Amino acid sequence: MEGDGSTTDASQLGITGEYMAGSHYVLQAQDEEGEEGLNDQDDANGGKDNFREQDIYLPIANVARIMKNAIPQTGKIAKDAKECVQECVSEFISFDMYVEPLKLYLQKFREAMKGEKGIGGVGVTEGLGEELGDDSFANQLPTGIITADGQQQNVMVYTTSYQQVATIILFIYFFWGGNLRG
Amino acid sequence: MSARNVEDKVAVNIKHVSLPMSRVKLIMKSSPDVSNINQEALFLTTKATELFVQHLALSSYKSGSGKDHNALSYSDLAGAAEESETFQFLTDILPKKILAKDYLKSLEELPEEGDN
Repeated sequence: MEGDGSTTDASQLGITGEYMAGSHYVLQAQDEEGEEGLNDQDDANGGKDNFREQDIYLPIANVARIMKNAIPQTGKIAKDAKECVQECVSEFISFDMYVEPLKLYLQKFREAMKGEKGIGGVGVTEGLGEELGDDSFANQLPTGIITADGQQQNVMVYTTSYQQVATIILFIYFFWGGNLRG
Repeated sequence: MSARNVEDKVAVNIKHVSLPMSRVKLIMKSSPDVSNINQEALFLTTKATELFVQHLALSSYKSGSGKDHNALSYSDLAGAAEESETFQFLTDILPKKILAKDYLKSLEELPEEGDN
């Protein structure tokens, strides 16, 4: 599988990265025991090179609790399911998947901002809308969120700060929040 | 009881986060594009992460076979990663599992490829 610069490296996660041609599979130990070592307190390995596993993941108890509350009336969640959601969460937070569309979005936004003093509805989220799979948000940029006074504009030109990311996160929030409540 | 559930859900959804923001911040910083992190962005990311967990769990549960026996299993998650476009980015870390002996057996059956 081609490495794609993801921060959660397959070897770090202890998943054997061997795949069958044409599809994604992982080798599983015959005894089905799975990756017990994932949450071990492996102090001997807590070197400077790799983060310790408890540093790069969110605590599994919290993750498991959120999962339990989301699923209607369920008894069980498999242990490897919890561990994997833990990894997915770290993948989600580390922004790899939406850094590119985000930069594109910011670029378009800056260009749009240059032209106008008054901030109108800026239809720049087509690319992002596709990524999120929901076009209904494409033109509803809540412009009040990005503070765009004179000083802030300079910031937006030269850096990709987390203030802009906050806007995207807010999109995601509304997108998923709508799905959950609906 | 249902009224209370609704209240709980609303309370959880608005101001309260169940995940440690310090740890979220640490993970955010592992990304090379990041310098400083605004407090609001941190809160929003944590909140979005919570919603993400809920969404992933619920989607996997609904589309998987786990709901038949009221449980969520790894294969439900792997299935969701493959089938849903939203979760495509997870296919690398949520691959489907096969037993080692099945894999080795199918290796023998594959035609000889230059697989270096």
